[in-house]
Amino acid sequence: MTYRSTSIAAYIVFFAVVFALPFFLNSFWTNRVATYLVYAICAVGISLAWGYTGILSLGQGLFFGMGAYMLAMSLTLAVPENNPVPDLMLLNMQPDAVRDLCCVTPGSFLWIPFRWVAVGMIAGLLVPCALAAGLGYVMFKRRTTGVYVSIITLAFALIGQLLVINNQPLTGGFNGLASFAPLTIAGFEFDPYGPSVYYAVAGILFLVVLGLRLLLSARIGQVLKAIREDEARARYLGYDVESYKLFVFCLSATIAGLAGMLFTLTAEFASPSLMATSFSISMVIWAATGGRASLLGACIGALLVNFVGSYASENAVLQPVWPIILGGLFVFVVLVMPNGIVGLIKAWFERTPRDNSSRREAYP
Amino acid sequence: MNDKTRRAFLQASGFAAMGLAAPAILRLGDRAWAAEEVPVGIMYSLTGTTAIVEKSMNQCAQMAIAEINAKGGVLGKQLRPVIEDPASEPRTYSEKARKLVMEDQVPVIFGCYTTASRKAVLPVVERRKSLLVWPTWYEGEECSKNVLYAGSAVPNQQLENSLPWLKKKLGRSKLFIVGSDYAFPRGMAKTSKTICQKIGMEVVGDEYLPLGHTEWASMVSKIGASGADVIFSNVVGDSIVAFYRELRNQGYSFDKLPLCSSTTTEVEIKAMGPEYALGSYVSLPYFQTVETPQNQAFVKAFKAYAGADAVTHAAMEAVYIGVHMWAMAAEKAGEFTAKGVVSAVGGMSFDAPQGKVTIDPQNLHSYLTPRIGKTRADGLLDIVDQYPEPLLPLPYSSVGESAEKRLCTTSGASL
Amino acid sequence: METFVIGLSIGSILFMVALGLAIIYGTMKVINLAHGEMVMIGAYVTVLATRHLGLNIYLCLPLAFLVTAMFGLAIERSVVSRLYGRLLDTLLATWGIALILQQLVRIHFGLALFGIKIDGLGADLQNVPVPVELQQTWHLLGANIPVYRAFVFGIAVLLGAATWWLLYRTRFGSQLRAVSVARNTAAACGVNDKKVNALAFAYGCGLAGVAGVLVSGFKTVSPDMGTSYVVDAFLVVVAGGVGQLLGTFAAAGILGEVQSFVATWLNDVYGRTVLFAVVILILLFKPQGLFVTKSR
Repeated sequence: MTYRSTSIAAYIVFFAVVFALPFFLNSFWTNRVATYLVYAICAVGISLAWGYTGILSLGQGLFFGMGAYMLAMSLTLAVPENNPVPDLMLLNMQPDAVRDLCCVTPGSFLWIPFRWVAVGMIAGLLVPCALAAGLGYVMFKRRTTGVYVSIITLAFALIGQLLVINNQPLTGGFNGLASFAPLTIAGFEFDPYGPSVYYAVAGILFLVVLGLRLLLSARIGQVLKAIREDEARARYLGYDVESYKLFVFCLSATIAGLAGMLFTLTAEFASPSLMATSFSISMVIWAATGGRASLLGACIGALLVNFVGSYASENAVLQPVWPIILGGLFVFVVLVMPNGIVGLIKAWFERTPRDNSSRREAYP
Repeated sequence: MNDKTRRAFLQASGFAAMGLAAPAILRLGDRAWAAEEVPVGIMYSLTGTTAIVEKSMNQCAQMAIAEINAKGGVLGKQLRPVIEDPASEPRTYSEKARKLVMEDQVPVIFGCYTTASRKAVLPVVERRKSLLVWPTWYEGEECSKNVLYAGSAVPNQQLENSLPWLKKKLGRSKLFIVGSDYAFPRGMAKTSKTICQKIGMEVVGDEYLPLGHTEWASMVSKIGASGADVIFSNVVGDSIVAFYRELRNQGYSFDKLPLCSSTTTEVEIKAMGPEYALGSYVSLPYFQTVETPQNQAFVKAFKAYAGADAVTHAAMEAVYIGVHMWAMAAEKAGEFTAKGVVSAVGGMSFDAPQGKVTIDPQNLHSYLTPRIGKTRADGLLDIVDQYPEPLLPLPYSSVGESAEKRLCTTSGASL
Repeated sequence: METFVIGLSIGSILFMVALGLAIIYGTMKVINLAHGEMVMIGAYVTVLATRHLGLNIYLCLPLAFLVTAMFGLAIERSVVSRLYGRLLDTLLATWGIALILQQLVRIHFGLALFGIKIDGLGADLQNVPVPVELQQTWHLLGANIPVYRAFVFGIAVLLGAATWWLLYRTRFGSQLRAVSVARNTAAACGVNDKKVNALAFAYGCGLAGVAGVLVSGFKTVSPDMGTSYVVDAFLVVVAGGVGQLLGTFAAAGILGEVQSFVATWLNDVYGRTVLFAVVILILLFKPQGLFVTKSR
């Protein structure tokens, strides 16, 4: 068996298991696995940016959170009691303000387009993309690389989080948004605890992974790897490195925004805690655990880390030490499996001699 | 063993461990409980930033459950606590709440400390028809029928007593309101302004700093420059310590510039060192020094449970009230469902450590006895003022709710 | 004037935490996310030493330095040394170590599992008694200057000077600088780069420990107190220019002052926002940081 055929088999097996699971799981576990698959989508975006292109963004939480808030706003307005104005604004308004979205609190008019759920869904993709485009354009045109990109994205996410918390009448502040109507498209209601939301998430994960795999197997995939390996050389070879990086950064942010929207469906709330640094770092860790330069690896990493975390914290014996187990897992992965689980598998393939006809990627 | 073989061994054992753990990880199906037991959820953070306070609430809940079990349980069944650690993260609260309600099928969760965590849990208990017993004093502005607000004070119960007292007893009239930047302090500020207007106090400042912020030097300068003669602090968490210390460092004393807080409990006083809080006031319904026979028993029992230098504080006492009142209501209703308990608990009274606590049937909040304590050198508080009767809870006082005009009734909130 | 002093004080804490991180990152290109936990350990050393050994805060400074340096050495020898050249892997590993350290403090280093509790450890808040002479306020040039903040500033300057002397006037210092700039060449010249790494890591952690002692004097001590420091410190290190002591000093000073002034004029939330925006601007316009290491 070649590495390539094993890889395809692995994808098939993975998605077969994912799509088959709801038949064996009760409603709690369906919802929990759906949430973990949302995290997997996020990790895939990071794998694209970091593993393939070398852009380590420590602020993905901002895009995830923005996506979540966009859909959350629409779902909040979809609750009948929240018309004409949601509760959170009624509680924060001046006593003599007009009870209409245009002017009940400063900036409340921004909510008006979200009366249509479609707007919320589109904004959940576009707003993170636009934010990333803005930041990315300035960053990459100035040839920022490496750890500096990480710090800038980290600081950017912190600013976003502070602004959301500080504008309570507009965003719900520290508490976030929490009472939603279920998402209803063409009369079909999505139930967070049922197969409908699960398959929506699983289906989107499948499409994202498939789409990225196709994208990366085209020439652009090689260019991105070239950029990751040696940016200057890629530039001298004539590639517009900055545009490629900008594209990848925006795509990765859009994927994070998409994951954020799905999070609103599975977890039924949106809060500034989703934009926190620790969450952003967790996302990077999911990708790293599974194998950062592998999309499937990122999925596996996200699922594995979250399962270990919840198992350890819910087990009566392990509960007092569960953070140690989680921390120990990370140290273990780094020391023993530096390229993640997928890297281990690749290394196993590389140990035994292969004939030259099968193309293998040189692994850094 | 050389490096290569050691590595291979470690990798293999890593995989083996994961493989062995897999079946336990993927649990299929629900759990069955012994027929003589009822699982109840306890969901207070044991790790993370709010673990500081929530850990004692966890212990108190377990102590209360043990007391109830010793007296025969509820409806003949023993309560079995299922303890989860939400790690101070709202999304983990949401996840653990789902697990408790759906997987462990608990009829009630005793949990949450911050409003952010409660909001994340609300969709779970409302949709799955379970019950959350919420213990912390907070900004109100909520009217859920799946939450029992047992012992949780709302702003009118902390401000209707303290602000007029500061004016009459201490003769102050220029108030500076300072708080951490989120819903609770803002809600308190709104209600404060309404009350100040009624009693003729001037609000000369209404400022906020981010949660967890510890650079208070500029804010303290602002307070000094504002001409205020009394401070009301709604500062929360770590910032409390930095704030009080900064006041001292910049030379302010509580004799000249009194401070009344809605949030500084025995825990924070112990943490900052009583000398920094000495002479400041706190407005809460419960202090460790409340003199009722129930409280003396409560403090004694908790110290026996958690250690002689443990302190009891308001959020803990609210947990105690919540567990006991839930048990009483379930007993009266003859069933454990949220609906049954909620309809039975309205109007019910309990002899809590702070005195009599009654649940209002309309908004499921508690009649509590407002008190004002003055910090003394040993870290506890002398009670300098207390109401003779418990006070009606008005969760929407920040938007003008009053006893005559109720905004939270049995059919929900009407704003 | 007071705003300026406050800015200096914010800057001093930033500087001390950032300095250790700068040395670690500059020498070894290791992103040490456990650095905040070193601050936390320094603070806990102070709690335990003042409570059980009766020491005052002055003696805790060298004690915390030694204890955190030893922790640092242990971490370096066991984990970090195997990760050289893999910058982004150190992020993962040190994050794991940070989680472990936090929980160890919560469970009294494992003793709580057996029912033993050490007063001063655990998940609760701890406090540290500050000597009376440091609680005063000086009145200078019309401003109120809390003595404690001046003390913090003084220690920061002292540490900065000591570090400068170490880096530029000792043999170890030149070895460290050689290893940061050109590791293989330095090794080829006979420098034991593994030893330099270990000692540099330990020294960096020790500095954080001293910062922890000072922080414990005005902030409560809890297991999670460290995480916020790492982010701020990294901002300072990168903005100042990696590998430049003067850069770290300048960046810490500037960022401290910016935060202080904006906080006084607007409000503190915007203080933090402007701070981050300033960092972003610095990095965008001077991509190598304020002060650039001259290299060929």
